[in-house]
Amino acid sequence: MSDNLPIDDEALIRLRHGEPADREKLADLLAADPSLRERLAEWDRQDAALATLYNPLADEPVPARHQDLLAAAARAPGWRFRWPERIAAAMAFLAIGTVAGWFAALHQMPGPAEADLATEAMRAYATYSVEVLHPVEVPASAASHLESWLSKRVGRPITPPDLSGNGFRLLGGRVLPDSQGTAALMLYENDLGQRLALYVAPAPAGVETAFRFAQSGAAQGFWWVDNRLGCALVGDLPHDALRKLSLSAYDQIDQT
Amino acid sequence: MTVLDEIETCIPALRRYAHALLRDREGAEDLVQDCLERAVARRTLWRGDGPVRAWLFRILLNRFRDVRRSAEGRAQLVPLDATVEPARSGGQEAHLDLREVHAAMGRLPFDQRAALLLVALEGMSLAEAARVLDIPEGTLTSRLARARETLRRMTGRAPAQDLVERK
Repeated sequence: MSDNLPIDDEALIRLRHGEPADREKLADLLAADPSLRERLAEWDRQDAALATLYNPLADEPVPARHQDLLAAAARAPGWRFRWPERIAAAMAFLAIGTVAGWFAALHQMPGPAEADLATEAMRAYATYSVEVLHPVEVPASAASHLESWLSKRVGRPITPPDLSGNGFRLLGGRVLPDSQGTAALMLYENDLGQRLALYVAPAPAGVETAFRFAQSGAAQGFWWVDNRLGCALVGDLPHDALRKLSLSAYDQIDQT
Repeated sequence: MTVLDEIETCIPALRRYAHALLRDREGAEDLVQDCLERAVARRTLWRGDGPVRAWLFRILLNRFRDVRRSAEGRAQLVPLDATVEPARSGGQEAHLDLREVHAAMGRLPFDQRAALLLVALEGMSLAEAARVLDIPEGTLTSRLARARETLRRMTGRAPAQDLVERK
């Protein structure tokens, strides 16, 4: 063995399924160690068996119902199809920092009720993000219950957005009183223990705002009103990270 | 290439993975259909900041977990892990017995099977598979090591020393 310590299976797996540089390193080790070669050969046999067993499924013709679904989506002239362009446009505007002007031209300025949304969200964040024992009433592990309960209480379909792509995992949710009715508060946490609060409350019809930024102490957030829902994402995070998370939440809420 | 096109090119791999994971033809096709429905409805979420394939596998696995969770109390799919018996053949054949491997895969705990199939069958790197499974790479690595070891034992592959002793 070329190293002083024997290589355990986990180290071997890191090399075998890692980056190209890892695989090069593995090749060097293999050249120097026949016993390692035998261990690797066993895994090669496993992979070959799995490929022989299951690859034929990938060669079968794709069932018609899968194809039909995609074909229907490609044809659909409905709102779903137009949304990607709108969102892409919104993102482009956000990226070049002209969002304020753009949205001001498109949408009316917020009234006091919508501005309250940010305040309420900040308050909820301040209260619950620091809670160690009972941050949420219903944990994310009871996902379907959480979803139906929040939807029922807020009176609108609420699906907690998946922010795990940005490293934030849903902890769960609770309901809170809001000036416009009942609000849902969803709490998220990342691996560093940083928390985010997504506050969603009913909004009056005919009101739409785009992303607005709010700050209160260390907490800051983005908020928006769309489709009769007021939403605010609050956390103690860098501005850019919050904006990215807010866009992700915005997209997902928009789909429901 | 539109997102829809990219989704379409992934269907064969999604089907292969779903079949190997669920080991039930009808259930696997339903899962793929569910996954595609969700992907199509949420394709605006995909922003080109990662491969479509990984995103689809994520949806598929999340969907499967949802289904499993809601089925709790009804059907129970509990893989056996504790009662692993080594298979009889102990040689160093160039190929493993396919039936043995298929049976052994069925006895792996779900998490191990899901992880192993991503890297061994779908050829994902550790980083990609960890993202798909939403677990740290270290967790994935130990999961893979356990899966490979269990598979080895169940397909009659003892370490070289054991083999000598057995003979």
